[in-house]
Amino acid sequence: MDIDLFEQLQKEGTISAASAEKVRTITTTRLFSVHWELKTILYLGVLLLSGGLGILVYKNIDTIGHQVILLAIALACGGCFYYSFRHKLPFSREKVPAPNSFFDYILLLGCLLLITFITYLQVQYNVFGTRYGAATFMPMLVLFFSAYYFDHLGVLSMAVTNLAAWMGVTVTPLQLLSANDFSSYTLVYTGLALGALLIVAALLSHRLRFKAHFAFTYSNFGTHVFLIANLAGMFAAYDGPYGLWFLLLVAATVFFYSQAMKQGSFYFILIITLYAYIGLSFVIVRLLMRTESEGGIYAGLLYFIMSGIGAILLLINLNKKLKRA
Amino acid sequence: MIAYNSQSLDNLYVQEQAEMAKGADCITAEEYNAIITAYPADLYTPNPYMRIGIFILTAIILLFSFGLFCLLSIAGGEGAITFLCVLFGGGSYALAEYMVREKKHYKSGADAALIWGAGIFLLSALGIATDADAPVWVWCLAALILSLFFVLRFADVSMSIVTHLSLLGLIFSGCVQLGNIAKLIIPFMVMLASAGVYFLSVKLIAIHTYRHYKKCLQMLQCCALITLYLGGNYFVIREVSNEMFNLDLQPGQDIPGGWFFWILTVALPLLYIYAGIRKKDRILICVGLLLIAGIVYTVRYYHSVAPLEVAMTLGGLAMIGIAYALIRYLKTPRHGFTEASSDERHAMEAMQIESLVIAQTMSHAATPRPDQFEFGGGSGGGGGASGDY
Repeated sequence: MDIDLFEQLQKEGTISAASAEKVRTITTTRLFSVHWELKTILYLGVLLLSGGLGILVYKNIDTIGHQVILLAIALACGGCFYYSFRHKLPFSREKVPAPNSFFDYILLLGCLLLITFITYLQVQYNVFGTRYGAATFMPMLVLFFSAYYFDHLGVLSMAVTNLAAWMGVTVTPLQLLSANDFSSYTLVYTGLALGALLIVAALLSHRLRFKAHFAFTYSNFGTHVFLIANLAGMFAAYDGPYGLWFLLLVAATVFFYSQAMKQGSFYFILIITLYAYIGLSFVIVRLLMRTESEGGIYAGLLYFIMSGIGAILLLINLNKKLKRA
Repeated sequence: MIAYNSQSLDNLYVQEQAEMAKGADCITAEEYNAIITAYPADLYTPNPYMRIGIFILTAIILLFSFGLFCLLSIAGGEGAITFLCVLFGGGSYALAEYMVREKKHYKSGADAALIWGAGIFLLSALGIATDADAPVWVWCLAALILSLFFVLRFADVSMSIVTHLSLLGLIFSGCVQLGNIAKLIIPFMVMLASAGVYFLSVKLIAIHTYRHYKKCLQMLQCCALITLYLGGNYFVIREVSNEMFNLDLQPGQDIPGGWFFWILTVALPLLYIYAGIRKKDRILICVGLLLIAGIVYTVRYYHSVAPLEVAMTLGGLAMIGIAYALIRYLKTPRHGFTEASSDERHAMEAMQIESLVIAQTMSHAATPRPDQFEFGGGSGGGGGASGDY
């Protein structure tokens, strides 16, 4: 904090001498925190180590060396979980803080190595059978258990991506659009179901007060997956009943909107508005294309200009509303 | 020079400080309210998420208005489009001025979209008017003048990046004109200019008159440190001279004075980190850490010390070890450093972002397949490091 400023405020009589003194003490004894720098190094270390070991196992799969590597992975994994069990704070339905910043990443490393190990056993020896997508189901169980037992948001996010992979959808944030073929209706329906499931999980976390801080992760994935699947369904029904998909979108928007207002979340309001805007624009453009006239093009351009202004005014209004709440 | 009311910006600063003091329990709620009423700020700044939305929507409006006018004047040919670009450039700028001065927008998203629109339209006008074959230095000069003006007028952080890059582009294209000597002096000119920009912004940031440009100057420091490194990086120099000056180097062949650039490649990031720790300067530390990746990449590109997976495993182990040792060492704060998080208020939000980064980069590592070795290490580095801002 700016000491000179607070001294000036004290001279003006806006704040008391005691308050100015507090500011002075805090500022002069303030430490330079390298918390996030260290976390970033840890994160990169875990990323490199788990990735490197993962490749090592597969590159050496036909040699004797790979059993040594496998043993090393098992030992490292055991070590990580041993550390996590030793240092963890007692389980609670509420948020449990990590005992230190090292703990989070050791647990993460343990989970990653365990998954590498399970996947290897599955690929090489088919330990869990081939039915019901066992190769992704087992890691998912491990991840969900670890996420809840040790209270780790990162592991929970990985568990959700794994759940989606098990159901056949890629929900890794940046690959959500590129890695899925949304023109197939199976995927659209799976996406809708997965999105709804995650939203329900979010609501239940809140309602049952069981790890309520996990709700954001669930509803974040859920909202995106549901709305993207919905839009994809609408685009796929290009010449068909896109009106029905639009009705679903309207219903979903109204529901998500009321949830977002309840939580006072600017983030959700923004993404819902943008998804709804895309859906609305698609319908308008389709309707204008039906007129097959030059006037339709002009009307379309005018629509985007006017609707853009309208959407901005809407966002500004919602911003005001949320700020007051 | 700045378009905003200087008093409002100062008051906004006082309010932010008061908020911090209130968050740290230094001042009482009554004192906080008294400060807010004594220093009113009438600037309109929506929530950061809303800002993103307003930016996107403003860009959509600009784009489609331009499309509409293009369609209307399609009979006019090239001259009409040039005129339209100039008109839209000027119009966007005028609208940005109006938003800032009358509507008191400050970092609302609309201002940034309009400024960027103005710049892009005016440059497009230049491109169409010259049939897109103006020399590079003309483009750089035009971009430099425009972006510098926008930085000074609106203190826009993203524009300061453009300013720095177009300055370097101008120097680069100017040197290329010199002919044969160019390949010798370009690295030094780029490094000299970057160092100049860095030390100038360090100087200016301490001066009271330029207080409203603090964020721009910090961004300039970041950019200048990175380009200073790139200017002296062995990989960059070897490959760029190969491409641009037809050096025709074979793999394994060295560039003239290669040892000198090898020293710079390895020493500069370490120097940054050392200076950052000495001065407690976060920008130096973060850029230094980021550029460690530059060292690793450059060395591995020319000298394959170990297979990739072995290097990854060992590197990962070393990084975890270093971080563990530092966390243990700083458990009780030493030399004014601590490993504890300083800002508890944003911790939850940061945790959410962290979890998304983990989901993005590690889900691949979680289920490796023999045919797939893309582990997204590169993107992960960027994602992790940007968490500090």
